[in-house]
Amino acid sequence: MKALKLFERHGSNVTFGIIVFILAMMPVLLMLGVVSGGSTILFLGKCISFAIVAIGIDLIWGYTGILSLGHGLYFALGGYAMAMYLKMQATGGQITDFMHIGGLTELPFAWKIFTLSPGSLLFVVIAPAVVAWIVGYFIFKNRVKGVYFSIISQALTWAACSLFIAMSPYTNGNVGITEIKSIFGSIKGSANQGNMFLLFYAALLTLVAIYALSKFLVERKFGRVLIAIRDGENRTYFSGYPVSRYKTFIYVLSAAFAGIAGAIFVNFNGCITPSQMTITYSIGMVIWVAIGGRGTIIGAVIGAFFINICEYNLSSGSTVEVWQYIIGVLFCVTILFFKGGIVGLVQDKAPKFIAKIRAGKVKA
Amino acid sequence: MHHEIVSKEELLAKNEKAVPIRQLSPFVLEIDHVSVCFDGFYALTNVHTKVKRNDIHFFIGPNGAGKTTLLDIICSKTKPTSGSVIFHPMYKEPVTLTGMKEYKIVWLGIGRKFQVPSVFINLTVEENMILSLKKGKRIMDTILRKPKKEEMDHIEETLQKVGLADKRNWRAGSLAHGEKQWLEIAMQLVQKPEVIMLDEPAAGMGKPETFKTGEILKEIKKECTVIVIEHDMDFVKQIADKVTVLHEGKILMEGSVTEVLADPTVQKVYLGRGGE
Repeated sequence: MKALKLFERHGSNVTFGIIVFILAMMPVLLMLGVVSGGSTILFLGKCISFAIVAIGIDLIWGYTGILSLGHGLYFALGGYAMAMYLKMQATGGQITDFMHIGGLTELPFAWKIFTLSPGSLLFVVIAPAVVAWIVGYFIFKNRVKGVYFSIISQALTWAACSLFIAMSPYTNGNVGITEIKSIFGSIKGSANQGNMFLLFYAALLTLVAIYALSKFLVERKFGRVLIAIRDGENRTYFSGYPVSRYKTFIYVLSAAFAGIAGAIFVNFNGCITPSQMTITYSIGMVIWVAIGGRGTIIGAVIGAFFINICEYNLSSGSTVEVWQYIIGVLFCVTILFFKGGIVGLVQDKAPKFIAKIRAGKVKA
Repeated sequence: MHHEIVSKEELLAKNEKAVPIRQLSPFVLEIDHVSVCFDGFYALTNVHTKVKRNDIHFFIGPNGAGKTTLLDIICSKTKPTSGSVIFHPMYKEPVTLTGMKEYKIVWLGIGRKFQVPSVFINLTVEENMILSLKKGKRIMDTILRKPKKEEMDHIEETLQKVGLADKRNWRAGSLAHGEKQWLEIAMQLVQKPEVIMLDEPAAGMGKPETFKTGEILKEIKKECTVIVIEHDMDFVKQIADKVTVLHEGKILMEGSVTEVLADPTVQKVYLGRGGE
C-alpha cells in the first residue's frame, strides 16, 4: 500500500529512480557475467546522452510548445567541442593529418582554444548556448512562432551541416573527427573496462543532475509560466511576462543540455560526424519525446531509452529496412491517438488499476 | 476622493523617501487624437477622449466601429498611425504608453481581459492567480521566489470576490464559461491594476450571470478604473458611469447612459439596428 501511495504521488521520480538503479547495476551484472559483451555498456552510455538531449527537447517543446527540429545542431556542436578537446589532448596540440591534407600548415585558431586547459571543456556548453542565444534572441524577439520557427530551426541545422562538410580542412568533412579516446582514456578492450565503467557512471551522474535540475525548474512557478506560454502566449504577455525572454532562456538551456549530451555521446562513440547534425537525426530526437510523453520530463527519458533499445535490437539483419517504417507508424499512432505518449497512457490507466488493486486488497 | 487621500498617506508613511505629491489628474487615461490605418483603411480616425479615475467607462458601437482596436492601442498591441495614449498613474508622473512593450504596460498597472476567455486551461484556478500576481515576473523571480503569505491572502480575497474560492484547485479548463470570465477578471484584479480593460465580459452569459458580473465590476471600481466594451444595453444601463459611442472609427457621442440613449443619431446608427 505504501509503495502504491509513493507511486501515485511521485510516479515520475520513482520511475526515474528505477531506471537509474537498473543502469547502475549494468556494469555489476557485466562483471558477474549475467550480461555479456562490453558493447552493451557502450550502447547504454549513448542512450544516456540521448536521454539528456530529450529532456532538453521536452523543456522547449513539451512545456513551452516550441517545436525545434534542429537540436541535432546543438548536440553536434557539443560533440565537436568535446572531440576537438580530446583530439588535442591526444596529439599534444599538434596539427592533425586531415589538416595537412587540407593544406593547412598551422593549427587553426578554433582548434588552438582546445589545447589550453581542461577549462576549454566549457565550450561543450558555451558553443551551443551562444549559437542558441543568437538564434533565439532574434527569432523570439520578432515573434516568429509555430511552424515558422520549426522551419527556421531545420534550415539552420541544414546550413550548419553543409558548412561542417564543406570546411573539410578544419572539420575533416564527411568523415568527421575519428579515433577519439574517452576523457578517462581508452575504453576499448577488457583491459580498459575500468575506464569504461568510470565513464559510464560519470554519464549517469550527469543524467541524474540534469533530470533533477529540470524537475526543479518545471515544478517552480517558472514551469507554470512555460505552460502558460504554450497554452496562451498572448495572455502571458498581458499577464506581464516578458515572453520572448523566457523563450530565449529555455531555448538556450535546452541547447546547453544538447551540447552536454553530444559531448557524452562522443566519449562513448569514439567519433563525431556531420550525420549527427542532420535533420533526420534531429527529428528522431523529437520522436523519442513524443512517444515517451511530452511535458513530463520522465517521458523524454523513457522515450529515448525505449526507442533506442528497440532500434538496437531490431535494426539488425532482416528488420533493418523495416525499422524506419515501424518508427514512422509508431510516431503517427502516438500523435493521432495517444497524445500523452507512454507516460500519458500510464497516467490515464494507472489510477483505475490502482483502485482495482486496492479494492481487491480490501476484500482479502 | 476621501479614500484616495488616506491611501496616499499610507503609501507615503511606508515610503521613507517621500514622493512629491503631484496635483492628481482627475483623468487616468488620455487618448490623444489617435488614428490607426490598416493598409489604407482607417480603423480609428482622430479619436480623442479621456477616461476618469474610478469610473466604469463603456465603449459601445456596432461591429467594426473600432472598439477592440482602441483597447489594442491602449495596451500597445497595435501601434497607432498618429496620436498617443497618456497614462496618469496615481503616485507617479504621467507616462506615454504608445510604443511601450506590452508587459511593461502591465507592470505599470493596466490590465486587459480579452474577448474570448483566455485563462490557462491546463493550470489550476489558484495557479492562474499566482501567475497573475503583481510581483515576480522576471525569470529569476519565477525560479527562486515563492508567493508570500499576504499575496496568497490577496488571492484568496479576490477569488472570494468573484465567487471562485471553493474551486481554487480546479483545472481552469473545466470551469463553466461564465466562471472562466470571472477567473480572468480576478486575474486582472490580483495584479492591483489602476486600469482594467474588459472586452465583452458578459458575452455568452445568461441574464443572472451578466447581472452578477455587473455587481462584481461595481465592487471593482472602488479600487480602479474600469473600461468595458459591451453590446448588452441592460448591462450598460446597470453599471455605466460614462458611455462613448464609436461609429466607423470615430466618436459619435459621449455622455451618461441617459444622454446617450436619448440621442437620435445614436438610436439611428446603433440602437435601432439590432433591436438590443
